Amino acid sequence: MSKKILHSLNLNGEEVEVATPAGATLLETMREDLRILSAKRGCNQGVCGACTVLIDGKPVRACLTLTARCEGHAVQTMEGMGGDRVMATLQRHMVESGGVQCGFCTSGILISARELLEEDPAPSRAAVKTALSGNICRCTGYRTIVDAVCSAAEELAQ
Amino acid sequence: MSVVLSPGSVEDAVAMLAEHAEAMPLAGGATLVAMRNAGLVEPTHLINLDCIAELRGIERDTTGGIRIGAMTRHCDTAACNDLTGSLLVLRRAAGMIANRVVRNMGTMGGSVANADPAADYLPALACCDAVLEVAGPEGRRKISIHDYVQGWYETALEQGEIITAITLPAPVAAPSAYRKIARVTGDYATASCAMALDPDGKGLRAAIGACGPGPLRDRDAEAVLRGRLDDPEAVLDFAACLAALADPLDDVRGSAEYRLRLIPRLITSVLSEIALQTEVA
Amino acid sequence: MKIEGNFEVDHPRAEVWDKIRDPQVMGGCIPGCDSVEQVDDTSYRVKVSVKVGPIKAHFNLSVEVLEEDPPHTIVSRTSGEEGTRSSVVNSDNVVRLAETGTGGTRVDYIADVSVTGRLGKFGLGIFRKKADQLAEQFVVNFRDRLGVAQ
Repeated sequence: MSKKILHSLNLNGEEVEVATPAGATLLETMREDLRILSAKRGCNQGVCGACTVLIDGKPVRACLTLTARCEGHAVQTMEGMGGDRVMATLQRHMVESGGVQCGFCTSGILISARELLEEDPAPSRAAVKTALSGNICRCTGYRTIVDAVCSAAEELAQ
Repeated sequence: MSVVLSPGSVEDAVAMLAEHAEAMPLAGGATLVAMRNAGLVEPTHLINLDCIAELRGIERDTTGGIRIGAMTRHCDTAACNDLTGSLLVLRRAAGMIANRVVRNMGTMGGSVANADPAADYLPALACCDAVLEVAGPEGRRKISIHDYVQGWYETALEQGEIITAITLPAPVAAPSAYRKIARVTGDYATASCAMALDPDGKGLRAAIGACGPGPLRDRDAEAVLRGRLDDPEAVLDFAACLAALADPLDDVRGSAEYRLRLIPRLITSVLSEIALQTEVA
Repeated sequence: MKIEGNFEVDHPRAEVWDKIRDPQVMGGCIPGCDSVEQVDDTSYRVKVSVKVGPIKAHFNLSVEVLEEDPPHTIVSRTSGEEGTRSSVVNSDNVVRLAETGTGGTRVDYIADVSVTGRLGKFGLGIFRKKADQLAEQFVVNFRDRLGVAQ
């Protein structure tokens, strides 16, 4: 059993203290010690995008981020975005378009899509595909996901 | 699991690396943490370079030269308005690394230290005649990018040395570009090309990536090509000189033979792209 | 993945054969070889360390000579694993010695290597480059061991 280290994190706007193994990744700490389960462990290599979360408002891979590095930074996961209008709109369009099947990639996809819409409120389909190129989905074939992001962008623009 | 240490100065970081035999410096983590997760490296200590002010930020010196702190994230390099003209190539290369999320994490110092033969910075830096500033147990020194890569994943960095900054000569008003051939957006390059025109438009500097252990650059061939950029034969001869330096891998991204064929195509297409920029300007 | 190559030395074939069949000579020439232990007439245990970038791999290998036809041919099989990375290496090797017209020896080698497990993630392209580099170093060391031809 490896030694646990106490860290103070700002998670979804709340200060939390967590004891986690030395050198743990944020993904391990969230899932094992904090039971924050929206970020998924897919490849654990930074490739699949299923563990994408926000640190200081920017999307990063939780599997490549050490928990020790998150002290003093704001970590946001899907659990803390319930009141976010852009996110709620994206979620609704994902459901309507069939962009969610098994759901494993969904939280990472939504966080990447939200980042895109913040930068580019009216993205082309090509821009959506590029923005989601770091998120792998093995169910949908992506078309319904791209549909969802585009229609969410249209609705938000009204 | 590894103990994470967060030094506040370069000197402390170097001392920690010297103190622990199996310690590794941790920059953005995009590669090193992935390797650790896969069980390929097992550092006892990770020396987190994220809290060292000296390693941050992009600055211009009094002569107009640019100093990029080693911990500068790809996203910040890709958005840096100081990288213009002859240095635009570096900005473009930064913007093509992996995907948006990885660009928020990975750093120039980390990527250069890892020296992946297919990574994007090395050819761009070779095209810009960059100089690396490093610090180690023997003190500080500078390494020209042209002397940096010494073999497959082998560099001029000595045990315990870290890159502190990448310095670039002052940008001049001349077009430059980066082109990457990859299987899909965000993949490592199958082959890449960084190119900058001379300010008078008569010559160029070019480096090829992913076709050998380090970037390929042939300054003698560049001198021969000078004044003959509009002669397609001369351009192909120039590309042949670069191809002669290549030692490409045979891997999932492409065969060695395919990579060799990409070199002349990259050179001619990037040249016509930047020639077009000149006409527009 | 097939790794093949050849080199020539000025020494007569019989002498080269003796050196190639001497585990201590071979152990001293293989780059990164930490130890060679003879188990019986035709089998050996060998420890080799190889570094690729930040990755330091330590192989525990057993080498079995399957066929030998002095002073022409040795057929051997190498198998083993990498210390902590759950990786397995297998290799079928053939070494052939031929006399050159000038009293020297030409050595041809072919190894059919497979790597599975975590190290396999790296892809065979980089292994081939590393193998070629190690082979080059081996030839330098081997020539050194032979000394100046008499």
